[in-house]
Amino acid sequence: MKNNVYLDNAATTLIKPRAVAAAMKNAVGTLASPGRGGHAASMRAAEIAFDCRELAAQLFNVSDPSNVIFTSNATHGLNIAVKALAKRGSRVLVSGYEHNSVMRPLRAAGAELIIARSELFEPESAVFEFERRLDAGGIDLVVTTAMSNVFGFILPVERVAALCRERGVPLIIDASQSAGSLPLDFDALGADFIAMPGHKGLYGPQGTGLLLCRDYTDGIIQGGSGSNSLSDTMPDFLPDGLEAGTHNMPGIAGLREGLKFVLSRGVAQIGAHAARLISIARRELASVPGVTVFGSDRAQGGVLSFTLENLGCEDIAERLNERGIAVRAGLHCAPEAHRTAGTISRGTVRASVSAFNTERDIAKLISVVKRLQKF
Amino acid sequence: MLNYLLICRSVTYAQRTARALDRTGITAVVTRTPKELTIDGCSYCVRIPGRHMTEALVAIKNAGLPPARVFAQSENGLFGEFSDEE
Repeated sequence: MKNNVYLDNAATTLIKPRAVAAAMKNAVGTLASPGRGGHAASMRAAEIAFDCRELAAQLFNVSDPSNVIFTSNATHGLNIAVKALAKRGSRVLVSGYEHNSVMRPLRAAGAELIIARSELFEPESAVFEFERRLDAGGIDLVVTTAMSNVFGFILPVERVAALCRERGVPLIIDASQSAGSLPLDFDALGADFIAMPGHKGLYGPQGTGLLLCRDYTDGIIQGGSGSNSLSDTMPDFLPDGLEAGTHNMPGIAGLREGLKFVLSRGVAQIGAHAARLISIARRELASVPGVTVFGSDRAQGGVLSFTLENLGCEDIAERLNERGIAVRAGLHCAPEAHRTAGTISRGTVRASVSAFNTERDIAKLISVVKRLQKF
Repeated sequence: MLNYLLICRSVTYAQRTARALDRTGITAVVTRTPKELTIDGCSYCVRIPGRHMTEALVAIKNAGLPPARVFAQSENGLFGEFSDEE
């Protein structure tokens, strides 16, 4: 079954700018290992990698491109961040919308988790909860997503970051869903780490991610870095300290093209397009009897969850797939978000859009859901 | 022709240095550091023409990118460490 309508962009953006695949194809056979040699193929790879860092630094306002680290996905970056800042017994304050890529590393680190559970699509409620918990004292670290991967709820990260800065509490931001569709200013936020995938809103290939970080060099893997090679330990400078081993050059070359696409189209325009499509879907689905839509006309990005009264979420996704529409059902690796929203027992169906979706895609989704609800 | 080598701790640092120099109109080439000039093992350096040395030092100082060490390379290929204070 071919998916003519792809609405699972919160998992990965399947449709990419054409230049992404072309750059990856070109990379195989022309780009060697950056920072590992002086020959043309190595230096060419180093140029592509550096250019990719500079584009990311431009997009996210990172003053030094050395603080842009290549990872294999957002989870990889979040693991580096969590292990740098959360120790056994650390008291870590998280939002009520975190993904397992945050929760599992924190639990593995032995951190004590405090959840700032807040109302869905209510930024003020989130700020209130974060502030209340921070003012109670004893918080060693804050971790928050910028946008819920289940509901598209845009959390007020600028205000949470300000609360952290005022109190000197380190902050990790999971920008998995927001990077590329919402503004993100690393220097202004003052976060210690911001992790993101390269393969979602940045339109790079799978197997790529970015970690924006302050000067932390205590990584989770050690190995060759192409620098300080006489030393038994990893370099104490970035990006080398956090980038052991050979780089994914086809991935980085593709990500570079994805970043160019986002920069040329503009984050504001991409975000507005996503919000408009989701707004149509929200309005139309809400008008169908028996459909519950989790949405709001404010603080919602390009992700929408819904359920049907007469059909389980996995059945809905399966039937949509049979009609060429790709969505995701279940808990979306974010049980905490479902606990917060009260959807943990049934899960939801999630439709998520990208810059390549159209109103026609949304119309097809609505049309099929209407038919499903009838039977 | 005399060249100068700005020894950098990593390829990324060398690239940042080269970009900063490029922005001021100085042609700079990133290359491997000759083995005899390395202290900590492998590294990269930025090669610049001798005639641009003074302005290059100003440019990288303004960019906050001091090199680990600086060497002059004479026409016969020999290296001599350069000190700004000399």
